[in-house]
Amino acid sequence: MYMDLLSPSERKTALSMNGEKLQKGAVLSRALVRTTLSRYTDCKVDPRSFEFKKNKFGKPEILWQSDDSRMEWPLHFNISHTSSLIACGITMDTPIGIDIEEKTRKPAKNILSLARRYFTPSEVDYLAKIPDPDAQHKEFIKLWTLKEAYVKALGRGFSGAPFNKFSIVLVAKNGIRISVAPKVLKDSDSSCDCLSENWQFALAELNSSHYMAICIEDDLRSSDSGNGRLPLGLKVWKTVPFLEDTLVSGSEAVTLIS
Amino acid sequence: MAAPVATAVARSSVLTYSSALRVQGMDAVSFRVSASFPRLRASFPSIRVQRIPRRFQVSCSAKQETIEKVCEIVKGQLALPEDSTVTGETKFVDLGADSLDTVEIVMGLEEAFQISVDESSAQEIQTVGDAAALIDKLIADKDA
Repeated sequence: MYMDLLSPSERKTALSMNGEKLQKGAVLSRALVRTTLSRYTDCKVDPRSFEFKKNKFGKPEILWQSDDSRMEWPLHFNISHTSSLIACGITMDTPIGIDIEEKTRKPAKNILSLARRYFTPSEVDYLAKIPDPDAQHKEFIKLWTLKEAYVKALGRGFSGAPFNKFSIVLVAKNGIRISVAPKVLKDSDSSCDCLSENWQFALAELNSSHYMAICIEDDLRSSDSGNGRLPLGLKVWKTVPFLEDTLVSGSEAVTLIS
Repeated sequence: MAAPVATAVARSSVLTYSSALRVQGMDAVSFRVSASFPRLRASFPSIRVQRIPRRFQVSCSAKQETIEKVCEIVKGQLALPEDSTVTGETKFVDLGADSLDTVEIVMGLEEAFQISVDESSAQEIQTVGDAAALIDKLIADKDA
């Protein structure tokens, strides 16, 4: 029973969600995080034992209580939800941000209005030049997930990395690049002076139904250039906690976009 | 040398995704705020106490009609069933709104009320009532 894995405060939070479906989703999400993290400690840490805290900007992190430093793992995680999928990304030693979105998600507002309001001018131009509305819509969702993944990886909150202060560019062969507007780097506004460009991105299609964007900090020591492997050493499993666990990266279920 | 091996391990990032459809046969789980940390902070400035409508516990100067209109817009954006309970006290995080929902709600409110909401004010909003109070304030400032 997934509920048994949760802490009392997680149960309370889950039950305060509006409606049974949201509540079940909240329980599943916590069960997924706990069981997955446990596996990356070689199951030495029981899923129930994990404790969590939030950094000063509110990003959830693992709280290691043990005095025994052998019982700590440099694990980072991040979660994203859609109505039909929950994703949990795990890394060692590097902050991670992940965002998933249904490909067919139709924003109620006009794409270009949303982009003008929230994206950078260069991103608006990029979208405006796409003639086919469906293609434009897909590119918007891709950009949205990539930007979300970056903000979540940075872990400083939406205000710490406003969407209109950095641009994501999808380049055919070189992958995905981020550039921070030059004036931001010199800006004396302290809420923006933490934007950095040393981040790597991956964008993939899951099951032909969702876009998934991942952002992790760039380790300049490593010089992986892909060579047909997934970037970032990425592996993807399809999981139902305790019931199923299938490696799907390298199959049709996971199609790398960049 | 141990370092390259450690680097390789450190570089691998893994991802697990779980099909919520499988669990207990449910059809859909709604959106959550996909930024997994609250951008909506707790510091809502409490404003002067008026006659407190009986549904509210805290002093809140939002007009009832503003709250109702906000509820309507929120229900529409999140495609909530007609009979779902959304009141001034309802927290946005509990409605499963993700970041895209949130920005669309803000834009919807701006259009409906002819106001402009800046990012830092938007972040202070935790509940529907907070949003309504902010709207009333922006309208009052505009008309002043």
